[in-house]
Amino acid sequence: MSSNRKDTLRLLAHFSTVGMTVAFSIFIGVGIGYYLDHKVFGGRTSPWLTLIFLGFGVAAAFKNLYDMANRKDL
Amino acid sequence: MEHPILFISVILQSLGMPVPHGPVGDTLLAKLVSPHMTYTWLVMLFLIIVPKLTLGTMSLVPGKGQNFWEVIIGGLEGFMADNMGKEGARMMFPMLATFALYILVANMIGLMPGFMSPTSNLNITVACTLIVFFTTHILGVKFHGIGYVKHFLGPIPWLIPLMLPIELISHFARILSLSIRLFGNIMAKETLLGILFMLAGAYFAPLPILCLGVFVSIVQALVFLLLSILYFSAAMEHAH
Repeated sequence: MSSNRKDTLRLLAHFSTVGMTVAFSIFIGVGIGYYLDHKVFGGRTSPWLTLIFLGFGVAAAFKNLYDMANRKDL
Repeated sequence: MEHPILFISVILQSLGMPVPHGPVGDTLLAKLVSPHMTYTWLVMLFLIIVPKLTLGTMSLVPGKGQNFWEVIIGGLEGFMADNMGKEGARMMFPMLATFALYILVANMIGLMPGFMSPTSNLNITVACTLIVFFTTHILGVKFHGIGYVKHFLGPIPWLIPLMLPIELISHFARILSLSIRLFGNIMAKETLLGILFMLAGAYFAPLPILCLGVFVSIVQALVFLLLSILYFSAAMEHAH
């Protein structure tokens, strides 16, 4: 395999994670928030921690995209 | 949908083992003889016995079998050395080559009738992924000591309360994306093959999907290997 094709394969593998990472980051953020709301604080803080951690999840998703766009080796 | 006939399960059932009909059994014995476990052991046996049989005695001028395995092992090592450097490749080679060969054979074995891909069960892929995840952080601590925390804190000190949850979430997202990608692809292949066999197996309807299945198996094994390498090398290099 030539080095050009190897590079293409590596980048394909890397970029095929973009969509999934966005989705899973948001899900994990909501999951942590929901767990804190309902299991740790017993529903007293109910919607707020879920919403805050949803924000963190979205931020994590976008930071991932930003890092990927900022890569030097492309 | 008709239940696929898995020959190990059939043999075990005729021996009186409580083979579960759902994905996972109830008792410990039922868990141990559930299909993804037995086929994992089959793949392990395959990977232990077949190289032993084909390798023969190692010689300076390689024969057929030795040549084949040298190409595979040399190719894997070259692939890893390209992406994480020679030192890292030599250190992590046993683990990553095991993962690559195991996942490749486990993906491919499901293409034969009577066999099932162990990787089409989420338990197996999550197990592989958790090993990779913990090894990543062990490597980070080994290379940077306590300074590995800097990987999670971002570049600017007063942004730490924002960056820490973000970094933690993106690290946990790796577990999910790595495991669910492998599981989803292989499960889709298996299910599609099962449905097509049931509907029009006599007219070779599954044939195109079988060809695609070979492709998907190789690509997913490579992607798992490649992403593990990328995570390892990200943990080994300095924080930005």
